[in-house]
Amino acid sequence: MSRITRTLAAATAALATAALLAACAGTAAPEAGGNADPAAPVTGGTLTYLEHQAFTNLYPPQAGFYPNGGVVNNIAARLTYQNPETLEIEPWIADSWEVNADATEYTFTLRDGVTFSDGTPVDAAAVAKNFDVYGLGNKELALTISEAINNYASSEVVDAATVKFHFSAPAPGFLQATSTINSGLLSPATLDLPLEKFGAGNAAAIIGAGPFVVSEEKLGTELTFTAREDYDWAPPSLKHQGRAYLDAIHLIVTPEDSVRIGGLTSGQADYIRYVQAFDEAAVESAGFELYAPQTRGVNNSLSLRFTNPLLSDLRVRQALVAGVNAQEVVDTLFTANYPVATSSLSSTALGYKDESEHLTFDPKKAAKLLDEAGWTVGADGIREKDGTRLSLDVYEAKPQPLSKQTLELVSQQLKAIGVELNVKAADAGSYAEDIKDPLKTPLYHSMVGRADLDVIKSQFHTKNRNVLLSNDTTLDALLEAVASEPDPAKRLEADAAVQDYLAEQAYVIPLFEEPQVYGAADYVEGVEFESVGRPIFYDVWLNK
Amino acid sequence: MKHVLARIGQAAVVLFVAFAATFVLLQALPGDALMIKFENPELGLSAEQIAALRESYGVDVPLPQQFWHTLSGFLAGDFGYSIQNGTPVTQMLAEAAPQTITLALSAFLLAVLIAVSLAFLSSLTRFAWLRGFLRSLPGLFVSVPVFWLGIVLIQVFSFQLKLVPVIGADPVQGLILPVLTLAVPISAPLAQILVRSIDEVELAPFVSVVRAKGASRRRVLWNNVAKNAILPTVTIAGVLLGELIGGAVVTETVFGRTGIGRLTEQAVSAQDTPVLQAIVVLSALAFVLTNLAVDLLYPVLDPRLRRLSRGTARTAPAATPVLEGAAA
Repeated sequence: MSRITRTLAAATAALATAALLAACAGTAAPEAGGNADPAAPVTGGTLTYLEHQAFTNLYPPQAGFYPNGGVVNNIAARLTYQNPETLEIEPWIADSWEVNADATEYTFTLRDGVTFSDGTPVDAAAVAKNFDVYGLGNKELALTISEAINNYASSEVVDAATVKFHFSAPAPGFLQATSTINSGLLSPATLDLPLEKFGAGNAAAIIGAGPFVVSEEKLGTELTFTAREDYDWAPPSLKHQGRAYLDAIHLIVTPEDSVRIGGLTSGQADYIRYVQAFDEAAVESAGFELYAPQTRGVNNSLSLRFTNPLLSDLRVRQALVAGVNAQEVVDTLFTANYPVATSSLSSTALGYKDESEHLTFDPKKAAKLLDEAGWTVGADGIREKDGTRLSLDVYEAKPQPLSKQTLELVSQQLKAIGVELNVKAADAGSYAEDIKDPLKTPLYHSMVGRADLDVIKSQFHTKNRNVLLSNDTTLDALLEAVASEPDPAKRLEADAAVQDYLAEQAYVIPLFEEPQVYGAADYVEGVEFESVGRPIFYDVWLNK
Repeated sequence: MKHVLARIGQAAVVLFVAFAATFVLLQALPGDALMIKFENPELGLSAEQIAALRESYGVDVPLPQQFWHTLSGFLAGDFGYSIQNGTPVTQMLAEAAPQTITLALSAFLLAVLIAVSLAFLSSLTRFAWLRGFLRSLPGLFVSVPVFWLGIVLIQVFSFQLKLVPVIGADPVQGLILPVLTLAVPISAPLAQILVRSIDEVELAPFVSVVRAKGASRRRVLWNNVAKNAILPTVTIAGVLLGELIGGAVVTETVFGRTGIGRLTEQAVSAQDTPVLQAIVVLSALAFVLTNLAVDLLYPVLDPRLRRLSRGTARTAPAATPVLEGAAA
């Protein structure tokens, strides 16, 4: 469906763009005056926010899905706050904390007077219960373990304002984990609900301690957030304290790209999520602001599943890496908001190391490597060896922006070095099944955003997302070092070692650093994002 | 009465077959909703965690037992929970169905209005060019893709002319463009059938007789022709329900409306079995009821069928060509 409509949107683009430009030139101008005045923030007003997809579930460990995260981020406070600019961990609900030398014990002192929106206090017992659920899961209620928390053992309520967490092995990533939406603090009563009750239709019953509460839900189409008058525990490092500026946010699910863009540019909406690369120009030229926060994790890349016999030879993988021109992908399909990847990690990620020497586009080198590996060009231009064609499959990944177009372009590039890449599309069921088979899916298109060193383990470890479907124990050991090295400097080295290894082994073809692109009218002030590009509505105010 | 009872029995069988076939087909699809939900890489769950979750959802329960469980649930009005969202399916349907029914009924009425106007105007007009133009419209309407029409209507009437908002519209405003979008393609087959049957009936001998007695063209059309031409149109109207449901999928998604169509689109892409099962059975029910209503309407519209339905060969008249067309 969304693919059809996307193609369609492209087809009507000529007409639509012309129309939009004409329509918007008039509306944008008068508002520019208000923007010039750096007035003090105004409290009040309702923001109309258009979301691309409906949220599915508000259980924080499942908030990685952007529509879920956008909601959780604004209704749930966290122990700590990761400054989106410096990526430093700062106090929020926790006033202060202590970590023991080997990162197996964390003690948090909580701020006084914080309450959930149902009136219960955010005390040590409540916080302990939250992390017991996120760290250990609750099988009976089908509540899953949070991917951000490793080696969790138990909690200990020291006194009403002090809580201690114990880990079975060093967990240096835990402090950052307490700042992510996956660790959003929920009322103890909410955590007694089974996973189903966190689903769509029950949003108003999910009780957090954030600046907003969900006050109304129209199943699958609309959510209304209302500001909490008594919210007075913003991260101390923020200039703005007290309640949120906005009275309310009206979130409307608008799946159709052209309607979201048109809704913004015609003044029917104030702020929208998911501006496609091909729509960015239309939004900007109509006088609207584009925001493209980076997701700061593992880049949008193609994983080469080396357990597939065709990819078991290092030279073949190196040839594929050298045969893909990521710069051309970005220039053709994307914009300046999508920087070309220079490592498996984004250059805005913690622990990033430049690996571009391994990633240069060099079709001659690629051809030479394939020749050396014994793959000779056959009659149809595709290389062969012992009667086997060098033909690989990849599935269009619906969550990735313009995945199909990206893969088709990569397929053209690889054809030039004699490699066939078949871009396949599948229904969600076949996709979920086939991507676990390296024979059916030798190349896999994915990314993951999270501003902590652990992110690389999440993506590549055999016990986590395992995008390589790896059996490489060396890689696993390198990744475990990242997740369990208590010394910060050594942890950075461990992270660099993983990036080196991935590049040397040619396990991934990094394409670009993925942003989340939003559009907003110029009177929408205080637009901010948490460290992985989810919107923060707390500081937003309407300058009109 | 016996006839009616038999039809209701038939309807029940159709519903059961629809239920069973859906159950089997959804099971036969590769992958399942749990896999799609929990193997979503954005959750980052490990293989063991997923296996434990699958077990807690009861995937190991043998199929016949699952079938019986689902069937008894349906009979008791309990459609289970959406796997993707965890929301009770009954709640999802209760929020979606009234919206879709309003949209579909309004669109259908508008479509009938458009079709009747087109058919009558084209039959009454004395200008050949106008007749040609009017008669070519349904062909155009039927070939306009619903999503394209929706997007164009939004761009022109909402974003450019700013006549109706699409975002944050009140219920009535929010209906205008979707109804128009859905009505246009539905009106086309109605108009085509109506035009054709009017043409056929006008050639029937009784029309010549009435005309010869001095009745005006308009009078003949209203009193004699329309009455006879309406039957095939009613039949096709029953079939058009499918088009309405299909059109609703696209219309609701483009306009971002709640409804059965949007629900279907989301459930299909997540392979959300309980939701799909309920939607298919509900659609089958709607089909069965509409066709039942159409069948029961025939004798009301045509006295000849009234005698026919009593089922005695003694009074059954020789069927006219028009009626054969209607039965086909």
